[in-house]
Amino acid sequence: MKSHLEEHEITAAVAGLELEAAVEEHLGSCVSCRRQVFAMREVIDARLEDLEAEAPDWERQRQEIMLQLPATPIARPKRRLWTRPLLAVAAVLVAAIGLRALWEPAPVVDPGVVSELPVEQILAEVDAMLADDSIPGFELLDQGMDDAIFDNGTS
Amino acid sequence: MDPSRKDLSQADDALVLRAQNGDHDAFGELVNRHQRRVWMVCRQYVGLAEADAVAQDSLVKAFTRIGDFDRRAAFSTWLTRIAINTCLDELRRRRREAIVDDESEGDDELGLLDRVPDDAAGPEGRSMQKQAVASLLAQEKKLPPRQREIFRLRFYAEMELEEIASALDVHVGTVKTQLHRAVHKLREELGAYR
Repeated sequence: MKSHLEEHEITAAVAGLELEAAVEEHLGSCVSCRRQVFAMREVIDARLEDLEAEAPDWERQRQEIMLQLPATPIARPKRRLWTRPLLAVAAVLVAAIGLRALWEPAPVVDPGVVSELPVEQILAEVDAMLADDSIPGFELLDQGMDDAIFDNGTS
Repeated sequence: MDPSRKDLSQADDALVLRAQNGDHDAFGELVNRHQRRVWMVCRQYVGLAEADAVAQDSLVKAFTRIGDFDRRAAFSTWLTRIAINTCLDELRRRRREAIVDDESEGDDELGLLDRVPDDAAGPEGRSMQKQAVASLLAQEKKLPPRQREIFRLRFYAEMELEEIASALDVHVGTVKTQLHRAVHKLREELGAYR
């Protein structure tokens, strides 16, 4: 049980804001704290009474309003948003493409199917090209240097 | 929304539907239900002298525009927004301050709340309460406009926090904060802590 409410809790109670259960419980049992809340509320209520005393005769006001009403409310033409159908069509298209991508099975490679590419022919052409000394960067190394390398590597 | 307000709101919806089709009697019933609040809102913004005329203007506008009401908010909130806008238009036209303070200035007595007796029914009690009310009014005028507006909509137009937020187009947390600050300042100025 709280000893007494904090200032901000009293303020919240006056304002009618949500209170913690412990605050509500304390307010229910503490005359001193409750009195602080009621003191402010009484002044506000008294001000409200003053305002209500100034209020007009409601029935007279209602009758005056009814006399001013046009025969029917103004019917405003609804704005035509031409972009809406366009956006809807675009959304449907995007969704359809997305769904198709999700549902379409991934292509499976059948090992039995022979590739249409002439692999053997391509490899033979590459070998022939590599064997050609005229390709820059692929010339044969000097034979003496080769021997030196191999000698060092084996000794 | 509490159940009684929800029932009222549902009953409003049926009347609004009829009013949208030009049923004057249905709109008359809506006026019956909401004219007090509309007047009280107008009273806070434009002052006593103009409150009746502006309230009537707001309710006539509400009928002419009822075809625009799309039920995204409660009818009472939509109507309150029309009333506030009508008041602001009137104030702009008159080029006055946002909230007119036409009441006489009360004496800024401090410590009045502590002096209000528990039973304010006796002559002395009534006199004390009158002074406290005058002081409250004087201190209200010193609040920042937004705090004063929210305080008055809450306590004099008796609006729910969510309704105030919707009518002013602000977050409900803002309403709570501003209301708390307003009440805190008023309590402090009225001497509740002394």
